[in-house]
Amino acid sequence: MRFSTTSRFLLLLAALSVLPGDLARAASPSLGSITPRGAQRGTTVTLLFSGARLDDAREILFYSPGFAVQKLEVVNVNQIRATVAIAADCALGEHAMRVRTASGISELRTFWVGALPEVAEKEPNSELATAQKIPLNVTVTGVVDNEDVDYYAVECKKGQRLSVEIEGMRLGNTLFDPYIAIVDSKRFELATSDDHPLLGQDGLCSIVIPADGLYYVVVRESAYQGNGACAYRLHVGTFPRPQAVIPAGGKAGEEIEVTFLGDPIGPIKQKIKIPATPGVKYGIHAQDAGGISPSAIPFRISEVGNVVEVEPNDTPANATASPGPVAFQGVIDKPGDVDHFRFQAKKGETYDIHCYARRSGSPLDPVMTLSVLGGGAIAANDDAIGPDSYFRITFPEDREYLLSITDHLGKGGPTYFYRVEFQPVRPTATLSIPKVSLFSQERQTITIPKGNRMATLFSVGRANFGGEVAIVPEKLPAGVTLHAENCAANLDVVPVVFEAPVTAPEAGVLTPVGLRHADPKHPPIAAAFSQQVELVTGGPGQSVYWAPSVSNLAIAVAEESPFAIDIVEPKAPLVQNGSMQLKIVARRKPGFTAPITVFPLFNPPGVSSASAVTIPANGNEVLLPMNAAPNAQARKWKTAVLGVSDAGKGPIWVSSQLATLEVATPFVVVANLSRSAVEQGKETEMVCTLQQLTPFEGTAKVQLVGLPVHATTAVADITKDTKEVIFKITTTKDTPAGIHRNLFCQITLMRHGEPVVANSGYSELRVDVPIVKTTPPPPPPAAGTPPPAPAAAPPKRLSRLEQLRKEQEEREKAGNPAPPPATPKK
Amino acid sequence: MKDTMSRLLIALAVAGSLASVSQANEPAPTSLQVFPPDVQLTSSRSQQLLVVQAGYADGLTRDVTAKAKLTLANPALAKIDKGIVTPLADGATELVVEFGGQKVSVPVKVKDAKLDRPISFKLDVMPIFMRANCNSGGCHGAARGKDGFRLSLFGFDADGDHYRLTREQPGRRINLALPSESLLIEKATGKVPHTGGARIKEGDPYYNDLIRWMEAKAPNDPATIPTPVALDIYPRKAVLDGKGETQQMTVRATYSDGSVRDVTSLALFLSNNDNSAKISENGLVTANERGEAFVMARFATFTVGAQVIVLPKGLKFTWPNVEEKNYIDTLVHNKLKNLRILPSEVCDDETFLRRVTLDIVGLLPTQEEYTRFMSSKEPNKREKLVDELLGRKEFAELWVLKWAELLQIRSSQQVSYKAMLLYYDWLQDRIARNVPVNEWVQELLGASGGTFKNPATNFYQAETDILKVSENVAQVFMGMRTQCAQCHNHPFDRWTMDDYYGFAAFFSQIGRKGTDDPREVIVFNSKSGEVTHPVTRQQMKPKFLGGAVPDLKGEDRRVVLARWLASPDNPYFATNLANRVWQHFFGVGIIDEVDDVRISNPASNPELLAELGKRFTAYKYDFKKLVRDICTSRTYQLSTRTNPSNEGDTRNYARAYLRRIKAETFLDCITQVTETKNKFPGLPNGARAVQIADGSISTYFLTTFGRPMRETVCSCEVRLEPTLSQSLHLLNGDTTTSRIASGNLIGRRLAENKTPAQIIEELYIRCVSRRPTAVEMERLLKLVDTEKDKKQALEDVFWSLLNSREFMFNH
Repeated sequence: MRFSTTSRFLLLLAALSVLPGDLARAASPSLGSITPRGAQRGTTVTLLFSGARLDDAREILFYSPGFAVQKLEVVNVNQIRATVAIAADCALGEHAMRVRTASGISELRTFWVGALPEVAEKEPNSELATAQKIPLNVTVTGVVDNEDVDYYAVECKKGQRLSVEIEGMRLGNTLFDPYIAIVDSKRFELATSDDHPLLGQDGLCSIVIPADGLYYVVVRESAYQGNGACAYRLHVGTFPRPQAVIPAGGKAGEEIEVTFLGDPIGPIKQKIKIPATPGVKYGIHAQDAGGISPSAIPFRISEVGNVVEVEPNDTPANATASPGPVAFQGVIDKPGDVDHFRFQAKKGETYDIHCYARRSGSPLDPVMTLSVLGGGAIAANDDAIGPDSYFRITFPEDREYLLSITDHLGKGGPTYFYRVEFQPVRPTATLSIPKVSLFSQERQTITIPKGNRMATLFSVGRANFGGEVAIVPEKLPAGVTLHAENCAANLDVVPVVFEAPVTAPEAGVLTPVGLRHADPKHPPIAAAFSQQVELVTGGPGQSVYWAPSVSNLAIAVAEESPFAIDIVEPKAPLVQNGSMQLKIVARRKPGFTAPITVFPLFNPPGVSSASAVTIPANGNEVLLPMNAAPNAQARKWKTAVLGVSDAGKGPIWVSSQLATLEVATPFVVVANLSRSAVEQGKETEMVCTLQQLTPFEGTAKVQLVGLPVHATTAVADITKDTKEVIFKITTTKDTPAGIHRNLFCQITLMRHGEPVVANSGYSELRVDVPIVKTTPPPPPPAAGTPPPAPAAAPPKRLSRLEQLRKEQEEREKAGNPAPPPATPKK
Repeated sequence: MKDTMSRLLIALAVAGSLASVSQANEPAPTSLQVFPPDVQLTSSRSQQLLVVQAGYADGLTRDVTAKAKLTLANPALAKIDKGIVTPLADGATELVVEFGGQKVSVPVKVKDAKLDRPISFKLDVMPIFMRANCNSGGCHGAARGKDGFRLSLFGFDADGDHYRLTREQPGRRINLALPSESLLIEKATGKVPHTGGARIKEGDPYYNDLIRWMEAKAPNDPATIPTPVALDIYPRKAVLDGKGETQQMTVRATYSDGSVRDVTSLALFLSNNDNSAKISENGLVTANERGEAFVMARFATFTVGAQVIVLPKGLKFTWPNVEEKNYIDTLVHNKLKNLRILPSEVCDDETFLRRVTLDIVGLLPTQEEYTRFMSSKEPNKREKLVDELLGRKEFAELWVLKWAELLQIRSSQQVSYKAMLLYYDWLQDRIARNVPVNEWVQELLGASGGTFKNPATNFYQAETDILKVSENVAQVFMGMRTQCAQCHNHPFDRWTMDDYYGFAAFFSQIGRKGTDDPREVIVFNSKSGEVTHPVTRQQMKPKFLGGAVPDLKGEDRRVVLARWLASPDNPYFATNLANRVWQHFFGVGIIDEVDDVRISNPASNPELLAELGKRFTAYKYDFKKLVRDICTSRTYQLSTRTNPSNEGDTRNYARAYLRRIKAETFLDCITQVTETKNKFPGLPNGARAVQIADGSISTYFLTTFGRPMRETVCSCEVRLEPTLSQSLHLLNGDTTTSRIASGNLIGRRLAENKTPAQIIEELYIRCVSRRPTAVEMERLLKLVDTEKDKKQALEDVFWSLLNSREFMFNH
């Protein structure tokens, strides 16, 4: 809610147009929060969705399975209540959702699912003496106020495992960096945690209870800077809470045994079945008789199997041997440890070698070095991807190679795990919708009014391939069609228009989006749509603290819009260094009179336009000024414009059709526009030499633009054969003296009944104050004393320049030496 | 050096044995010294200015060079005229000096008496530029030179100066055909208009040397030319008897080839206290008002100084038997004896209680503490109080605050509050656990890792510029301000650009990178990166400031530095810290400012400073022990009341000095006496101002009373001077009045049926740690009695006390 308001506001400022106040509020609909922030799986909970304009809610769109809405009630215009059954096998952790209403789709918000029953915090619990007693194996929901410290007392038995994990920053509410600790009744800290690489700013602790008794779990903001928005979910129980897993990935579809490390009880072995699709985001939870760990450890799904290190492998001589480039697994288990792997590779094979450490939640800051076995290093990297290492290598010959991994600061420990993957180089792409403004959720979803259109830009990040590609959403709401050209090979954005017939049912989908190469013989591209939602940002600068990302695009068909807009497709081209007025017309339903603001969606390379124009209230058309740079790429493009207006229920967005806009080379250009000088009240000439590029019919007008006030000249008419135009410039004594730069020619010709306007040439006109002859200059300066000359310099330079001009004029055979007879006083 | 000392001792011994022989009316000297301790003449142009100083039983000294009889055992070797020895022939002999019945002999060696040393640019010409002030900062030594001509400031770049004289504008500055018509000469002698006026006179030795150099075709020197390696000024000390008394100084340089040279005529003289002793450009000291001055001679990169004490003429002084509680008293008294100053008497118990409580724990004694201490009959109750206070946690907090200022613990746009809080907690933990300073300083300077995970690394987050980091380290841990040497040799200290960049090289390999948390920075040893000397373009080897070039052996440079810096090998570390501690308890450092250690800012009592440093090292850098020594000394316990001899004393601890209480402590005191609570951002309700971790957090009160912003490491950021806005704020700001109201102490006491007299007494004890005098009580009671609203009247009394100077100052 906060982001969208801000971004909208900025957008409007940028648009430089006045919109009705209503529009400046929020998207329609808008979702600010979901409360409570989480629940136990296997239960049915009532969730309150708060925001704005939610009263026509139709459904909740869940990005992950495990939720069934049993009842959806409207509380008021800004709140709805949903009774949701959470499946017993619902994945633990973060889940993303949106509200779809009759008019559109809300922002994405998150919800957390846990395995334990919930207990609410009861103040006062800010001192050890007033600690809140809780049973084991619960999730406490609480808030850390400013300088607040929350204490929870829990009765434990000797030998029992006591694990604590907090969801604070991850709840995505606000910049809340929690600190947790387990202390005994004598206030000795048995474990503390501020940040953990697995959990970002959130923490985890786990100990084996040394003696029967009361133990305390402490929660506070790490710098005592809490506030009412600093809500947390604190899991306290006997569940396993390991901090590492070996291997941290495996071959898709296989069943393997993994070992969880870092749990106080010791390594936990667990059999897992790896999903069948490589590359998807996946995580595994440790589970034993004590319960299940609340957060997963990331787990990579690969196409190849694992080689787990065999200690000792701390020198090249005892390197763990691998049959080939697969996935290497290990732990930098003590400070200064270096792990080595040797493997055979073939000449010419190219791999992306990734070390997954911090990306998998390991504290390791890996440094990875590849060398020829028994020889020198051929590649090394420290921090290519965050703290993780990556490089691409083409093996120079058939032989054995050595890969070594260590910590950048020479640290190490039992949970410093890593996974090195050799990934064959294949075409991949990431798709996204460019943000309207930084960290905004604005227009990141598609809402198409029935019988209308909506458009968006897609950003295409190509890796390991090039060429034209088409955007292919996996599914669309019933009846919806997509209009788009291929994304040009030299561009990474493409405009796409979605259209819904008036008969289409109101519905919403969350869909993956793929890519198809224009060349049917091109190998398939592994494309993934990604939408990152920056829920928590803060200093320094605008840093992102928590930003879940989803891989599905939300598209919905909404109720009809009271207006539609169309581009009147131009028949004449927009020429390089030229301009055009793009006409946009509105179709209004009877009774809808509000102004409609029009935003260009896509400007082809080298083309710029006004950032917004407005169709006035009751008006039906507007012109969007467009300009092309001299280097604008000449070709036919497809583009669209967006229109937004308010029909009394928040903004409604629609788009025009996908129209053709041609950028072309100009028909005629100015080869040279002479510079000129004139005394106030006198006349002068400017000679304009033309270069004809493409023959045109009829006459064109050439206008000299940029003359100072009180200086005039006539518009010249030219044909396709004109070579030169002479502008006679008349000045008066009021023409301002000085050099007037930015004079240019504007050439306007008609094409298919529409004007083609191009600018060309550049020159300047100097206007001088007439020299008064009655003041003889002081004794002329002797030969060559440049330093003391500033006072005498202007007249001297003046005559020289004019002489030069004269010579030039003579050269151009403009036998009319009219200009300046004054000043000779050498 | 050793030779010199032993000769001096011999001379003293000799003098002692002859003390009985004396003139009739003039008092007989008890010692006679001749400076320098030997004469070495090494060329036909060599000369040596001798100074003869007589010492008397009352400690006075006199310059008796003119009166003494100087005889050469072999007059064929040298000639003596007005104390100046010039060579005649090669050989060795003895110079016998006799005065007032004392007799001293000095060895004289003459070599190459007939040989002229070739003129040298660096030995002869460059010193003239300094002596004549040509290359000072206001003249041609300015960064852009002056009037189109630049010389390196104080001659740090002799080769560059040679280039500028001879080649920068060929034919302009020097004229080899007619040297006396060179612009250099004409300007310097004032023959043509010169902004700096006439600096030398035609025919004087400086003029002659410049001409000689040009006549020799203005050569530069070969690289093998000896460079000065030491400088001595004589006599080291003079005690002058009243206005007008004079003492000539003589200055001698030692060169890298072992030779010595009288450079009195080439040295630049200055005094740090013209009011007491002026020094002429030729080195003649003239006594003025009573006091102490440090006269200095500067030559090449060296500055050396001598102590001059000026006493009122014919002062009668006897040192009474003053008690000495420990070594501090002995050393302070030694100095006072020299200065003929009597220390004040010891302060009363009430004053001591308030003073020591404020100084050690930053709070006022409570009423209960007051009663307990005042009623105690134990003879060593003051020592016991000191021990007790040292055991309190507020002691640590006060020093955490002090260090937090020096370490610039301060959040900003770039530095998160969390990082600073962790840094502060780290520091607090070290100090509270009494970890020896050297240990945690080593940990700090050598720290690697994340600023959250290893908060000591925050030292390198606050400042990222290599040169600034090295300047900060020198200033915080050694008390040296090396900034000058970044661009030129330090004008008032021994630091050269080589020293500066050599020291900076320790910090050239600090790597910094981001990590998961945008607020965290990882500091690590990047193992690459060097510092380049901007003049010579050489890569500088890491060199300890005033120490050796260490063997780094692939270790983290910072770790190597830290190991040296916080150790007895570093002569400045312990003394600097000891001085900072001393300054806290006396308001004035033995070297003052405490972070401005330089030769031209000498210690007021070097023996005391050295001893404190030695003890601090011996205590394994446990400064609690040092504080105990200080607080139990008689010197610390002196009254602020003066006697005629010490009323002018500001540096020698002959009395206690009034000190305005520091901003944070002062606010805590007001909070304490009014029984109110503070609320600072990021700290729980009721926290004390000294506990504020973050330098960027302040209040109007704290800012007004000079809380430092921690923008620099300079100790000068803490401002202690009283200002008008402070007084106004106390008079009508919200700190006093509203706190008296919100604390409602008077209301509560009235509710307890206390009488106005009892309440007034309590207020006095609370605020100024004493009972009201009978007069005060009588007047106040009269006022209270006439008021209907007793609460209002008593609150007015309270307000007056909070506004009294007695409350605002530690005395």
